[in-house]
Amino acid sequence: MAYFDACVETPEEVILAADMIPYRLFGDPTMEITKANEHIPPNHCIWAKNILEQALHGLNNDIKGLITTHGCDCTNREFDIWLECINLDFLYFLNVPLKSNENAINFYIEDIKELIFQLEKKFRVKITTEKIREAIKKMNKIRKYLMELSDLRSEMIIQGSEFHALIKKVQQIDKNRALEILEAKFNEVKTKKPENKNIKKILLTGSDIDDTEFIKFLEDIGFHVIADDLGIGSRYFSSLVDESEEPIKALAKFHLNKPKYSTKFPSFVRYENLKALIDKYDIDGVINVANKFCEPVLYSHPYLTKKFKKLQIPYLFIEMEYNRESYKQLATRFEAFAEII
Amino acid sequence: MSKSIKTGKMLEATNKLKNEMGRHFLAIEQAHRDKKPIAWATAGTPVELLYTMGVQPMLPENSATISAALKKSQDFIELAEEEGFSYDLCSYFKTNVGAVLTNADMSVGGTRKPTFMLSSDVICDTHVNWFQVQAERFNVPHFTIDVPHVVSNTTNRQREYYKKYITEQLWELLDFITEITGNEYNPEKGKEIALNSYELGKVWQDIFELRKTIPCPVSTRDTFGGLFPLFTMPGLKSPIRLYKRMHKEAKFRVDNGIGALEKEDYRLAFIGIPFWYNLKFFSNLERWNAIIVYETYVYAFSKYTNPSVTKEMVINNPVDTMAELMLSFWYIYDLKTRFEKLRETVNDWKIDGIIMHDNLSCRPNACGMYDLKRKLMEEADIPSLVITADMNDPRKMNEIQVLNQIESFIEILRERKKG
Repeated sequence: MAYFDACVETPEEVILAADMIPYRLFGDPTMEITKANEHIPPNHCIWAKNILEQALHGLNNDIKGLITTHGCDCTNREFDIWLECINLDFLYFLNVPLKSNENAINFYIEDIKELIFQLEKKFRVKITTEKIREAIKKMNKIRKYLMELSDLRSEMIIQGSEFHALIKKVQQIDKNRALEILEAKFNEVKTKKPENKNIKKILLTGSDIDDTEFIKFLEDIGFHVIADDLGIGSRYFSSLVDESEEPIKALAKFHLNKPKYSTKFPSFVRYENLKALIDKYDIDGVINVANKFCEPVLYSHPYLTKKFKKLQIPYLFIEMEYNRESYKQLATRFEAFAEII
Repeated sequence: MSKSIKTGKMLEATNKLKNEMGRHFLAIEQAHRDKKPIAWATAGTPVELLYTMGVQPMLPENSATISAALKKSQDFIELAEEEGFSYDLCSYFKTNVGAVLTNADMSVGGTRKPTFMLSSDVICDTHVNWFQVQAERFNVPHFTIDVPHVVSNTTNRQREYYKKYITEQLWELLDFITEITGNEYNPEKGKEIALNSYELGKVWQDIFELRKTIPCPVSTRDTFGGLFPLFTMPGLKSPIRLYKRMHKEAKFRVDNGIGALEKEDYRLAFIGIPFWYNLKFFSNLERWNAIIVYETYVYAFSKYTNPSVTKEMVINNPVDTMAELMLSFWYIYDLKTRFEKLRETVNDWKIDGIIMHDNLSCRPNACGMYDLKRKLMEEADIPSLVITADMNDPRKMNEIQVLNQIESFIEILRERKKG
């Protein structure tokens, strides 16, 4: 079961409990956009358009359905285009709320229950409470490993790019296999000592950056991404799902209580989480990358500029096309930032 | 054979709109002076509840259009861009930022500092982000109503819990207002405001009904400006009187076979927000004897378009009904509903073709437009044209290019009429 999720709030446990493999869709920055241009105007989110392009060419045959999770105006509105043009057995729009108070949690519970109802009906499966509980336990194990590995990343024992590739993989493969890979990686690196290198410690924020090559590009310049607040990053494992609570409620609370993303309300709270990460990891500089036309991130940028200036932390904001050529074009700006910090 | 009048003549009653809007801005000024509560509200929020709670609403979108009409919006937009807001962000938002930064007078699109802000994502995320930026600037509280996104395969069962979620938030909003202003919700006043709002919307719809007639008695000269009371004054009596006068005059035209144009050859629909800085652009259509007889945007804000919402429901349960209405109005229809409603509209209003505004500032409205155009042609044989521009940023409109596109489109319609 594929999911198209700009803010990583899809309850994968429900998919697992339906005996399916959750498969998060990522963009492909090497892909030329042709077909999607017939559906989406030129000034709309380039990442969402890229994913639609892939789907118009045909997704993997193993993908039986898609869950699109409420993100921004572009991703939300594009769902109807998917319904119109993409041949899948199952398409569900998951309305993750903007807010996170009690009413919002209750609403999200209703929507997860509806998702369960529709999955059961379409695929003739039974998604029991017990199966969701088991899935939560499995996912919590994955989250714990990722937390440990993220700490090792922040100690510069593993590279930011390696961690990024790992977390992407976890979101696309069988979770048992993911656990094996994470366990092996953890055992391999847990006793390593950090190399005493003069590296610039970076906190990465902004749009959900899904191209590992971009992280490698930053590393080649001399940065080390030791922390982030991204969905292909720490938002995926920001805490654990409460195993003692009723499972659907626990999932709803877990997702809505994550550190706020720019698509949520109030999104300026995102700064508080960034500040906490800066303090915790003794960050040298913040890089905020907005995919071209990523409105939620664009709205927050002047506020973050003001706050980081006050905090006296170097801050670089970049608006970027979704292709690797643009990395080279922007190299000078990144290099200049490296000089500053 | 229809009688002719001067080409593109506006209704006499529409001239009174200035007085109506003047009354609105005066009320804001008075509230500001008397230190009474003022709330900024985004389009699509239940402004009626603000009036019910004794709060004076102000809609910065409305103010932004004034800036554009007075050719001030570009200056304001560029100021916002100097503050770091991207060239690609909403031009209403940036106009408002610039107006606030320069402390612009209300007569040119300025605003007054509100007591609090009320936004919703029912139309776009921009509304929420916009008010977050400005609430932080003014250091005032901000309440947002989160409206679940309805898609083409949303079921009735889903709509029920969507509605429940919105209703709960509307009651939270009333508590929020009480906490800030000390004003309590008065059910009787709520009914009165709801009834006025309902009547306002229905008279506006009656005007649209008259536009089904050939020749069409009312053009965009009346509708694009005339819609503002729907945003700013739903619940008050005075705009109802204005709309009734407009209706009466339009009815006279219908009864006497008088059209808004001297000669009417092509009847068009317009999807999207107009270019407020260049409203005279629409009079260009008259050179081809073409008239816009239906604007989805303008009709949308008559609000009471959901046939399952009755007058009794509106009066007896104003808050619950508002939740239902927030889930169902033209501007936010899913692709499937947009297609079906347009097909009906084209038939009922005898429309020859549709002009769609791919508005660079309004991604939610523009998203799906290409598919809508294709579906209308392939499944209903309805021709349409997509033009690209911006509602408030004149830098993003190439007038000559758009005119050429429209001329070619009219040529297509001419050929189709020849059959």
